This record gives sequence, C-alpha cells and structure tokens, in this order.
Amino acid sequence: MEDLSLPKIDYAAVAPMLILFGVACVGVLFEGVLPKAARRVTQLVLALLGLVAALSVIVWQSDTRVLTAGGAVAIDGPTLFLQGAIIVLGIMALLLIGDRAMEHGGAFVAQAAITVGSEADRKQAVKEQGATEVYPLTVFAIAGMLLFVAANDLLTMFVALEVFSLPLYLLCALARRRRLLSQEAALKYFLLGAYASAFFLFGVALVYGFAGGVEFGTIHDSVTESTQSTVLLYAGLAMIAIGLLFKAAAAPFHVWTPDVYQGAPTPITGLMAACTKVAAFGGLLRVLYVGFDGVAWDYTPILGVVAVLTMLIGAVLAVTQTDIKRLLAYSSIANAGYLLVGVLALSKDGLSSTMFYLVAYGFTVIAAFGVVTLVRDADGEATHLSRWAGLGRRSPLYAGIFTFILLAFAGIPLTSGFIAKFAVFGAALDSGEAWLVVFGVVTSMLLAFPYLRVVVMMWLSEPGESTPTVSIPGGLTAAALVIGVVATLVLGVAPAPLLDLTTSAADFVR
Amino acid sequence: MSTGEAVTFWILVWPALVGAIGMVLARNAIHSALWLVLTMLSIGVFYVLQSAPFIGMAQIIVYTGAIMMLFLFVLMLVGRDASDSLIETLRGQRVAAVLLGIGFAAMVGTGVYRAMDNVTPAGLEQANAQGNVEGIARLLFTKYVFAFEVTSALLITAAVGAMVLAHKERRKGEKRGQPETMRARFYPGNYPGPKPGPGVYATSDSVATPGRLPDGTLTDRSISKILPVRELTSSESAPKGTEK
Repeated sequence: MEDLSLPKIDYAAVAPMLILFGVACVGVLFEGVLPKAARRVTQLVLALLGLVAALSVIVWQSDTRVLTAGGAVAIDGPTLFLQGAIIVLGIMALLLIGDRAMEHGGAFVAQAAITVGSEADRKQAVKEQGATEVYPLTVFAIAGMLLFVAANDLLTMFVALEVFSLPLYLLCALARRRRLLSQEAALKYFLLGAYASAFFLFGVALVYGFAGGVEFGTIHDSVTESTQSTVLLYAGLAMIAIGLLFKAAAAPFHVWTPDVYQGAPTPITGLMAACTKVAAFGGLLRVLYVGFDGVAWDYTPILGVVAVLTMLIGAVLAVTQTDIKRLLAYSSIANAGYLLVGVLALSKDGLSSTMFYLVAYGFTVIAAFGVVTLVRDADGEATHLSRWAGLGRRSPLYAGIFTFILLAFAGIPLTSGFIAKFAVFGAALDSGEAWLVVFGVVTSMLLAFPYLRVVVMMWLSEPGESTPTVSIPGGLTAAALVIGVVATLVLGVAPAPLLDLTTSAADFVR
Repeated sequence: MSTGEAVTFWILVWPALVGAIGMVLARNAIHSALWLVLTMLSIGVFYVLQSAPFIGMAQIIVYTGAIMMLFLFVLMLVGRDASDSLIETLRGQRVAAVLLGIGFAAMVGTGVYRAMDNVTPAGLEQANAQGNVEGIARLLFTKYVFAFEVTSALLITAAVGAMVLAHKERRKGEKRGQPETMRARFYPGNYPGPKPGPGVYATSDSVATPGRLPDGTLTDRSISKILPVRELTSSESAPKGTEK
C-alpha cells in the first residue's frame, strides 16, 4: 500500500484548542506533583493564563477563514467569534469557580467520595479546602466547546460533544453544600446526556447512509444529488437535532435543566448557562446553516414548533418557581427559545443576531449566578425566593445589581437584553417568520412577571428575620460581577461595535 | 447475502434479540450484564459477517471481553444484592414508556427498512481495498486525525473523574499502624481470638446456622453479616442427648 501522509494542519488556526488541551493536561499533572497548599493558586493562574493566551491567538487569527485537519475543523467567522465568546464567558465562570472568599474552601467539596452526612463529611465541610481538580476539568470542558463550534463534520462534532459534556457531568457532582442534590443532578445529567448523545450518533449513522459522508459539505451536496431515500435524511436530521437541542435545553428536551441547574455548584451552573448554551447553539447553527440548508423548508416548521414550545414552557413554568436557581433555569429555557427564533431566521442577519444574543445573554446570566452565590446564610446559599424578600433594604448595592440583571433578562431598553431580543426578532421578521416573533413577544411579556416579582419582593418587602445577609464578594467574584454588569450595560447602550463584529463574522466556510 | 451469511444471520439473530430483551427484563444486575454479553457477542459475529473483522474483533475482545467483564467485577465488588426498586414514582410511567418505546422502535425500524429498499451498497471490495485494518487506519490518521487525538482528552477526563468521585485520601493520622492495631485487638471489650465457625449439627451444616459457644448459647459472631440468619427450630437446636 502507498504511504499515508498526515493531512495539512493549520496549527495557528487550531492553536486555541491545542493551548487549552495542553493547559488542562498540565493542570492534571500539577494535581499529582504539587503540594496541596500550592495547588489552588497555581491551577487558577494556569487556567486563566491559558484562556487569555487562547483568546489572544483568536484575536490574532481573526481574519483566518480555513478548513483544516483534513476538512474536520472549520475556522471561519462564526467559529472565531463563538470561540472568543466561550473563552471570555469561561474566564468569568472561572473567576466564580476560583473564589473562596464567601465560603471557607470554595463552592466545591474536598473529597466527593466521602459518604454524604457521615462524620468525615461534616468534618470536611467545615475544615477542608475544595478539590482543585475542578480547574483542569473546566479547561477541558471549555476546550471541548471550542472544538464543538469549529467541527466541520458530524463525527468530530460528536467527539467534541462528549469532550465538553463529560467534565460538566463531573463538575455537577462536586457541590460542597446539599451534596445529595448535587449528586442527583449529576446522575440525571449524565444519564439523559448519554441518551441524547446516543440519539445524535444514531442520526449521524442515518445521515451517513443518505449522504455517504459526514462532512457538512458532502451533506450539503448530497441533499440535491443523492439518490437515497429521504427518510434517512429526515430521520437523521431529527435525531441529530434532538442531541443538540438537549444541550441547548429546548423543550421538550429541557426536563433536566431545572434539576441540574439547581443541584450543580452555582459557578458551574453559570458555566453551563453561558458557555454550554453558546457551544450548543454554535453547533446547531453550523449543522442547520452549513450542512442541511438545502432542506430548510422542511425543518423550519418543526423547529419553529419546538421554539414556540420552548418559549411557552420556559415562561409559564418560570412563573410558578419558588427557587431562584430554578427560576433562572426556566428563564434559560425560554431564552433558548428566543435563540431558536434567531436561528430559524436562516439568514445572515439571523446568524449575526443569534451570535449577539448568545454573548449578551452569557454575560448577564453569569453575573446573575454570581449574585446568587453572594446571598447566603449559615447553611450556604439561600436560594428560596421567600428568603430574598427585603434584600433591597439589607444591601441596596447587590439588590440593585440583581434588579438590573433581571431587567436585562426581561428585555427593558438600555440593557443588552433589549437589543438582543430586538435583533433576533427583527431577523426573524425579515425572513417572514412573524408567527415566531408573535409568540416571542407574548412570552417575553409573560416572562417579565416572575422577574418583576423578584424585584418587587426585594425592594418592597420588609426584611424578615430569615432574610440572609449578602456576603462581601471576594475579588474574583466581584471582578466577574463587574464584567457581567458593565457588559450588560454597554451592550445595551452602545451595541454597535459588537453588532458590527457579529455581522462581519457571519460567514460560514463550507 | 450469500447462503452461509444468511444461515449464520438467522441463527444468531435470536440470541442477539433474546439477549437484548433479557438485559432489559432481568431483575438482577449480574443477569442483565450476562444477557448483554450474549447480545454483544452475536453482534460481533454480525460485524465479521459483513467483512468488518476489525470492529468485530474489537467488539468481542474490548467490549465483551474487557469492558463487560470489568463491569461484572464492579458489580461483584459493590454487592450483587442491590436489585432495583420497582416502585413507580410517576403513575403509569412504565406502561407509557413501554408503549412509546415500541412505537418509536417501530417507526424508526419501518422507516429505515423502507429507506433501505433499493439501496446499492457502496461495496465492501472498495472499502476494504487495502485491507480492513489498513482502511480504518487510513481514515483514523488522515481524515479524522483531529477527532482521534482529541479522544485522549476524553480518556484523561474519565480517569480524573473516576479518581475525583471514588478516591478517598487518608491522612497520616488516620492510618493505623501495627502497634495500634494490636493494642486495639487486645483492648478490653474486644475479643482477640478468631471468630467461631458456623454451627455444625446433625440436621444442618449450612454456613447460615449460628455456632454454639462452650456455654451452649448461640452466637451471631459465627455468621457472616451479609447472610440471612437461618432460624433453628427448637428441636434442631436442642442437644441431641450425647452427654448422657
């Protein structure tokens, strides 16, 4: 047989991923070599440096438009933009993860293997420092997300999906407080996630049967050329969509979201709400815009129904929630619906507005979970809504910040939420998807109710005996909060630079 | 399909199906795992039948031989008595799940069957032109080299995850040395000798029957904790008159 030659790899273009995978491996190595006391600072600095380095490479490479590694990885405008977004949001989440000022030892359990409720568990809850394996795991997850938005064939996309999901399953199980809830969340996420991955893989097999290949370019060509039965195409696309919509938390594949968001350590919830959403929609955009754009007429109505269902379920169930983390989870489901509206515009505007929405929502949601980590009592975070009553009197600054964040979620003008919603609805209207916009506007109004209820509760109720105090945030959480709030404000007042950036980046290569 | 292929297929399709159904229906985790082994072995042969010897052997050696056996070891270590509770938390959930599952399987099955009606296969000669293993290597190290390399991240994550979730660190103070162990052994209140053996009677010599101490009382210490205690009837435990 003739010699095999490695396909040409544009190392500069894939450098951000390589840097992060390298940093994660070094982090794992540090776990074995460094003494315990030195680990946390080293790991945190290493992870942050890695993310910053990867971000600088992305900025440096911002004009690259290339298919590389044998056509498996596409580095183009949307890839670079979404990779940058994931890294920036990942840095914010990492700041929350690294903070140990509010709670001794941080938000993570020291040894997850110790039986919940045992004597050793009580001892480690007060005394020991949190596990430092969370830093390399987080970096692995972020690196997997970078590959996920860059994958140019379904097989690479599947591997990337697993690479970023597995660390997230693990991280969900490592909460310091309410450990049983956290472990239940991790198990649920793992089992349902494995199920969704199986659907994705099934779909890939069927699409392979139709197209004779798994590259998006091949699939795109085969839609017009293939002589196989279209049943394979539609069934395959449906199953791939199930896998992706599961990660994006769209109804009816959203059931895991509230439980997992509630059980996971709050910094990890922030990471999932922001970065996983960017990655999932990045993947969905590429699948729908690059691979299957030839059958857009067939999938738009179905995904439209999914979008409407997602918005309705998210908005209606958010009204009934009594736990702030569950409320934010249902709000995140509803936001997945608005993002789907943007995706279904299926135009350049749709692409750029969806990318804008992802970034705007990511900044706001991480700041929101940052505030949630601050409101605590002796048992850890006080997440029940009744406990938030009267918080405005106790600490006007943080209640004010949270009010601003909730107003951004509700889409009030002068916040990024307004501009983002305006952009996706505008794009959908231009593409003639008015029915989606109608549902979007109606559910937005519905969704404003739970947000405003929290606002009213914080400011207009008297603080009771059970109103917890707001901890003074450590420097890291404060930094994440400032970044999130400032970005929410700036993107609301002067969105033009980012809008221009998304517009200029909105070009897939095939 | 050639005749030999068809014959093998129709022989092995039943074990594969029965194994899959048995895996779902078995109450005991060990039985479940063994049924799965049966299915996996049959599928391995199917792969070989379809000129994919590499994946067929990988299925048998890696999945069945290594992973399933490891799984069985874990089950044995964890304790095989942990059978599932069959209480439904949502009423009618199981019936609904079975109906929806069958419906979904029928839908996908008929859909794929119809779609495959007049398909001309690409041809195994073409796919295996340079040998089966070489063909796979060619794909792995050229087209999918990036995905292949990234899989290592998955393995590292899995290893780290297993350590994080299962490994307990023992502090220096927590480790008990030989002198402490001995001191605890001869400490008042602890019986330093070996535990008594199980009872051996004319009517029963099961390990589940409690032994008798020199003073004639039964002792629980002779029975392993995981065994159910075998209740002796009064006639069984009564002395058989040997002391006359």
